Amino acid sequence: MPLPAKAFQHWLHSVAPAMNTADICRISGVKRTTLAQQLVRGKVAESTLVSISRALGLNPLEGLAGFASYAGLDGPAPPPTPAELVSQVATTDLLRAVIARTAPGDAAILALGPAPHATSVRNWVDAIDDGELRHRVSAATGVAPQNYSAQLTANRLSPELAVATSRAAGVGLTGGLVATGLITEAEAGWLPGARQSAVAALSDGELTVLAGDRLQTLGRTLRRQEQEHAQTEKIWENLG
Amino acid sequence: MPVLEWGTLIVCGIALLVRVPDALRGRNRVIFGILFLATVCSLLSIPGPYAAIDGALGSWNLTNLILRLIVFAMVFLVGLRLAAGLGAARARRLLIGRAGRWGLAFACLAVTVTFLLMDTRGSSAGLEALSNDGGRNAALAPFYAAAGRSYPAFVSITLLPALLATVRAHLPRLVRTGAAATLAGATAAIASVPASFAPDSWDPARLLVNYLAVLGYVLGVLVFWISGQLARPPYNAPATFRKL
Repeated sequence: MPLPAKAFQHWLHSVAPAMNTADICRISGVKRTTLAQQLVRGKVAESTLVSISRALGLNPLEGLAGFASYAGLDGPAPPPTPAELVSQVATTDLLRAVIARTAPGDAAILALGPAPHATSVRNWVDAIDDGELRHRVSAATGVAPQNYSAQLTANRLSPELAVATSRAAGVGLTGGLVATGLITEAEAGWLPGARQSAVAALSDGELTVLAGDRLQTLGRTLRRQEQEHAQTEKIWENLG
Repeated sequence: MPVLEWGTLIVCGIALLVRVPDALRGRNRVIFGILFLATVCSLLSIPGPYAAIDGALGSWNLTNLILRLIVFAMVFLVGLRLAAGLGAARARRLLIGRAGRWGLAFACLAVTVTFLLMDTRGSSAGLEALSNDGGRNAALAPFYAAAGRSYPAFVSITLLPALLATVRAHLPRLVRTGAAATLAGATAAIASVPASFAPDSWDPARLLVNYLAVLGYVLGVLVFWISGQLARPPYNAPATFRKL
């Protein structure tokens, strides 16, 4: 459930009392038609609030925390677990880390790509999953497991589900919002270089197994895509 | 039902016309031929053109028999193409193997024999005037109709699993839509066999099923074509190197 429009307008008035909608849209880069439509429908997307917060120089988490469904988001949160941090490292960066470790005498610090990567959502859920997580999320939110899985496969997760997943796993509430790209690592209070340190803390064996798992999943995904592509081409060749 | 007749003719005509450029280039001429036959068939289902052609052939409804045989040829070709396009090796084997050849031979024989046994004088599209004559005609007409639909139903049954799999597969949406339309056509083609024996009061439903079969197949092929065109870069695009 996105944010209720009434509460959103109340928040907007409290943070930017002197600005009209046109000003808000201009500074935040939210399209006027988009905002108007969201207000008319009575549901405002969380990303809208995040964009406006950033434009006003506020931490989006504080804004979100004012809404009933996100209460507690800005409270003192446990730091992200090492597994969560590593899950937000892109597969290619992990492979690069493997190579960097085997290269003799090269201790250069690895530069990592920014947090949400091509499979960041599923990797994040896998990192905090104890085996029963999906069932607990499903029971808590009423979202069917197959719909949840479909979102993960598409590398998406609604902010509400992301927070619910964090709650069900007992980790800090903001990890999922970083993995879905709604907020940045810095906004979530992750220390700069935290992901690098988490990767550095992995033993050679752990890093290699992790990279291998990721590579295998990537290979399966690519193979499936290639098969589907070939299937489609065949249809077009014979019938198109 | 003039709406159905003309609607089918228009859809077939559109599907045929959009393929003219491709056919001129020599691309997928078989599909063009299939659509041409489909257009001829839908034209011959309309009383006016039917009467004109049948008149030239001696007014004993020989045109209707020819129409059935054209349908068989068209269905055979479309079945082969669909089997190849959907990667349905089993369907292909069934179609060109012994079962398919016997099925086709049996269907041809069945329509010809029932046609010759009927008193078919007096042109009437779809033989609708004949079956009301009573007596031998009334008894034979359903069998003639069913025989004419048996081979299309056979082809549709062989294609059913591959079509279902394509509809469910993780493919571009338009491709799946095309498969779904074809699936609807195949289902209607199968349903039209028992529908041939339905009582006369069901005529509108029977006609609907018959036209749905044609429309489903032709629309499916049309949607496959559209999806391919949308995915393909325009013909006059500058040469580019494909990544990967």
